[in-house]
Parts: sequence; structure tokens; C-alpha cells
Amino acid sequence: MAEEKKLNRRDFIQNGARITAGVSIVGVGVVAATKSSKDKYVWQIDPAKCTQCGRCATDCVKNPSAVKCVHAYDVCGYCDLCGGYFKPGMNALQTGAENQLCPTAAIERRFIEEPYFEYIIDEDLCIACGLCVKGCGAFGNGSFQLQIRHDLCDNCNECAIARVCPSDAISRIPANQAYIIKGESVANDES
Amino acid sequence: MSKKSIGILILVIIGIIITIIILDFLGNRPNNRGDNPYEYNVEEFKAVDASLIHYKETKNIPLGDIIARGMDIFKGDIYITGQNFLQVIQINGVKKLNVELEETGICLLVKEEFIIVGLQQKIILFDHEGQILNSWMPDKETTYITSLAMKDDILYVADAGNRRVLRYNIDGTYIGEFEGKSESEAGHGFIIPSPHFDLVVNSYDELWVVNPGKHALENYTDEGDLRGFWESSSMKIEGFTGCCNPAEIAVLSNGSFVTAEKGGMVRIKIYSQSGQLESVVAAPEKFVEEGKAPEVKVDENDIIYALDFDKKMIRVFEKK
Repeated sequence: MAEEKKLNRRDFIQNGARITAGVSIVGVGVVAATKSSKDKYVWQIDPAKCTQCGRCATDCVKNPSAVKCVHAYDVCGYCDLCGGYFKPGMNALQTGAENQLCPTAAIERRFIEEPYFEYIIDEDLCIACGLCVKGCGAFGNGSFQLQIRHDLCDNCNECAIARVCPSDAISRIPANQAYIIKGESVANDES
Repeated sequence: MSKKSIGILILVIIGIIITIIILDFLGNRPNNRGDNPYEYNVEEFKAVDASLIHYKETKNIPLGDIIARGMDIFKGDIYITGQNFLQVIQINGVKKLNVELEETGICLLVKEEFIIVGLQQKIILFDHEGQILNSWMPDKETTYITSLAMKDDILYVADAGNRRVLRYNIDGTYIGEFEGKSESEAGHGFIIPSPHFDLVVNSYDELWVVNPGKHALENYTDEGDLRGFWESSSMKIEGFTGCCNPAEIAVLSNGSFVTAEKGGMVRIKIYSQSGQLESVVAAPEKFVEEGKAPEVKVDENDIIYALDFDKKMIRVFEKK
């Protein structure tokens, strides 16, 4: 009859440590895998909270900023006198630089039919100053909105703009719902 | 530790504290920043020359928790409608009548024989005791009723959802409609970017309709033919700005218009029939910044009543 090997205290502690370490490693691996596959989060601006303070233009680590103006066409009134396009006190409703609100002329005003005009954002020129968003919100339907473009954003652990945003408008949201837009259709939206 | 060491330690601590305070003062925190280099500034347009302001606020009536949407003045009483109610209140604030509505009342019109309430897609006639006399619905599902006016027995209904003015007999019989279009360039048709579309019949029995997308007031015949118009687009006090102004209008006994604007510069002004700015009733400083356009009405003594949706009160303005 084989003699049963007795488990001494040292073996017990060693086995316990091995099991604990193994479980921990597997656990961390599982959690990390779950995080990376399921819970991808990205930074985004809530248009309802945004106050167009200008910090998206000045505080993003990217230059120019990864924040861009997007246009929700189904909210737009296609106005001739667009508060987001024309500078307050403009000389005339014409596309001359002196009449434009945007400091980089990033908005194209395109005639559709009398008296409707379409406003298209050139994101390469947009610096996210928020002037057009402010003007559109103050005098129009609020169809211009600032959003973080995820093809440009580095998705930093700590977003430099979120840290200084005075209205806490920037937070992490699920990557599968990466944009928060008032309207349904968005110009130049990512596919 | 010697006294000298303690003194040095205290000085070092004070130095550290001062450094932290300076760094914090200069630091980049949410509420610790100078001017916005991209500030949107319309302050110069908000300032109104005091000599232009011919009215003063003489009274206001707080509305409490109710959510009001429309108002009319009749024989010294204030009629208001809103979230599922029609109310009649005296100028001293005492409630005379309260009627529960099936939906939110958006506009109303009071006449000697009846009260007409416009819901989003329904018109209801009440007697002055609050009993329903008649009701009917316009034909389209996209109807959004925003204003009512009457001339003789014809009821004019502004339908912002379909950019048209409907005409009915008071029994609800449909007579016709018009969209403000004509052969001339001026008669483009109503441009309604948001549900602000007002109309009035003045003391000369003229129907005036706001074309907010054009910053215009347009005069129409009974059949809907454009008879005349004036328009004024400007950020300055002389004009209207934004997508949808003037959002509300009323008429004084001499035919002048009382206009109310929404958006970045909420203000109430008076224009002559031909569109010349006559005076200012209330400057933007009287209202919430980027607020809603107050509903404006005028009583038989040309006293102006403004339903201020942001401050939840009826404000009374009389000539100085």
C-alpha cells in the first residue's frame, strides 16, 4: 500500500502562491481582452453642453485641432442671412471675406434656389473656434455643431480639451456611438 | 531647532505657497482663462439709444409653474393657453376661468362671441364659459398651427408646418389657402425655418403676415394676393436678424406694428405701417440672453403685453 505523501506547510504556501498568481494573470488577461474588444470609448463633445468657449481651437494636442464643425442639414434653415456664416454687422449678404464670420473661410455658401443657400464645412480649414456654432445657435436653428473627429483624434488617455472645458461638455462615450449630433443627417460624416 | 532655522523654514514654506498661488493663477484651468480669442460679440448691437425707448414696464404678472404658449387680451382680461390649459386671468392675477385641453394650446384669439384656441393640428372654439362649440382639423399631418386672426367671419390660420395661411368660416368650413407666392420676385412664398409664423388683422381690416425667412411683413388681400410688403434685414436696431424674425407681431390702433424678436437679441420694437422704426418698447437687456421671442398683444388702450416665456411672466409696457 502506497504511503500517502503528507502536504507540509511550506508546500501548501508555495502551491497557494502559484495558484493565486495564475488566477491573477488569467484574470488580468481576461479583463484586458474584454476592455479592448468590448468597451472601446472615445472622447466626444455634447452639443447641448458646449458653450463655444474657443478652447477646442487652442487646447487640443493636435494642430489644427481634431475638433471640427459639422453641419446637421436637417436642422438647417438654409437661410440667406445665416448667423453662422455672416459676421455681425456685415456690409452685405455676399461672400466677400469682410462679411464672413469664419476666420479661416472654412464655410462655403452655395446657392440652391432663391432665397435658399447651403453651407458646407471645409474641415481641412476648420480650426474649431466655434464662432459659426455660436452665431448659428444665437440667430438660427443651431445646425452647426462642434464634434471631435475620430479620424483625427489621438484618443489620449486624458483629453487636453476635456481637462479645461468650462462646461464639462467633453466625455468618453462608446465608440460604436461616436458622434452626438442634434439632427439625423450629417455632412461629410465618416462611413 | 534654532530660531534661525525655524525662520528659514517658515520663509521657505511661504515661498512655496506664493509660488503655488502664482502658478495656479497663471495655470490653464477651465475657469481660469482670459478673453476668448474667438469671442462672438454682438454687444454693440444690443446697446439701444435711450431716446429711442418710448415705453416703460409698468407691471408684471408671474405665471408660476404653468407652461404658457399663447396669449390674447380682451376687455381687460388676459387669456392664456399652453400645456393642456386655457386660462382667463384678471390684470391683478386672479384666475377667472380654467379649462383643461386635450393637448398643448399654441395660440388663441378672443372675440365677443367665442374664444378660438389653436392646438398644433386642431382648432377649437369655446364659449366664454369654457364649453366647446366647435372644433376641426386641417387636412395635412404636417400642420403646425402658430397663429390665428379674424376679419369679418373669416378665420385666418397660420400653418408653419406647410408654409401656408388657411382660411375658414367660423363653422370650420374650409374656404381656401395661400402660400404667399406670386409672379413677381417679391412673392416668393413664405419661408419658415422654424415654427414662428405670425399674422394679424389691423384696425383697417388689413391682413398682415410675417415672412420670417425674409424678415418681411406682407399685406394680403382676402383671397391671398400680395398687396404690399416691407422688409428690413440688419443686426442694427432698425432691422431684423436671424433665421426667423420678427417671430411675433401685434398692431396698435394706428396700424403701427409691435414686433418681437428671438435669438441673440430679444427685443420689442414698433414700426410704422410702411416699415420705419418708430421706437423701442424693450431693449435686449430686459430679456434673457438668447431667449425666446415674447408673444406680444395690444389692448384697446394701446398698452402692450408681452408673454415672456423665459421669465415666465406677463410683462406690461406703457408709453412713458
